[in-house]
Amino acid sequence: MKLFRREPEAEADVRPTLLGVVTLMFLLLFFLLATSSGQRLGVVDLRLAAPGEAPPLPHAGLVKSVVVSLQPSAARVEFEVATTDIASSADTRELRAIDVPSSGDRVDLAALLAALETVHRIDGSQERAEVRPSPEVSTATLLAVLDVVRGSSQAPLFSRVSLQ
Amino acid sequence: MKRFRRREAQASVGLDVGALAPMVDMMTLLLLFLLRTYSTELAPTPPSGPFALAPTSSEESRHGGIEILVANDAIYVDGQRIAAWDYVGTEGVVKPLYDRLLASRTKARAEVHADGTVPWRRLGRVLATAQAAGLEELAIVGGYRGSL
Repeated sequence: MKLFRREPEAEADVRPTLLGVVTLMFLLLFFLLATSSGQRLGVVDLRLAAPGEAPPLPHAGLVKSVVVSLQPSAARVEFEVATTDIASSADTRELRAIDVPSSGDRVDLAALLAALETVHRIDGSQERAEVRPSPEVSTATLLAVLDVVRGSSQAPLFSRVSLQ
Repeated sequence: MKRFRRREAQASVGLDVGALAPMVDMMTLLLLFLLRTYSTELAPTPPSGPFALAPTSSEESRHGGIEILVANDAIYVDGQRIAAWDYVGTEGVVKPLYDRLLASRTKARAEVHADGTVPWRRLGRVLATAQAAGLEELAIVGGYRGSL
């Protein structure tokens, strides 16, 4: 009988394993804290229109051009939409505009995103957009707007942004 | 009774697994945060005066090139003060910067580190000057503010 009686299994002690993990994490933390500069940089590549540069060839889709006019605390999205989807040399276009209100003393970035998404829904193949900042627009506002116009990696909007 | 008492006494000795688990969780979160914000490159700063890069959500990293720093009082190229805004006029190409960039045309790319409060009328002039000096690739550098 004793031969078949199972001994109660002792629970494995996980503490040494956990302590090993904690020690390793401590070492990694110290290494990262010692070697990190504390500020990661992000780069926004620009495309500047050269003086006298010819405009790009017209886009084949419905939205022909997208222009974001930027003021220190407001913005306006203007876009040209072809009123017919028949390809011809003389198409008719309609200029539409969405005014983006200010949020306090800043551009309302959520409203700007909503406006650009509206344009993107009309023609998802349009990748070009032009940003025209006014002289008093700060670099912080400009970069924030450029981030919105380009969209995120999950939901890209206009990846080819040029500054005028 | 005696047997139970001994077991209780044994359990209270040493480290408790229940206490270690939250610590491991916390360390993992800290590690994740540090890895997301980890960077070994130092952002250039002017020798004097306040300077703060504008935040950006762009995850693209730097590709090298000429380093142009635009502060509210002056322009620096590769750490060297090139021009003070008070002495470069209000319009057109920034001549001292243009000359300096022409002298270092071996590099075709420039990265502009501008203070967040610098207005476009200045930043635009710097970019136009760099373009006029033949730099084909231009980029603005900001401080990454990505989320976990």
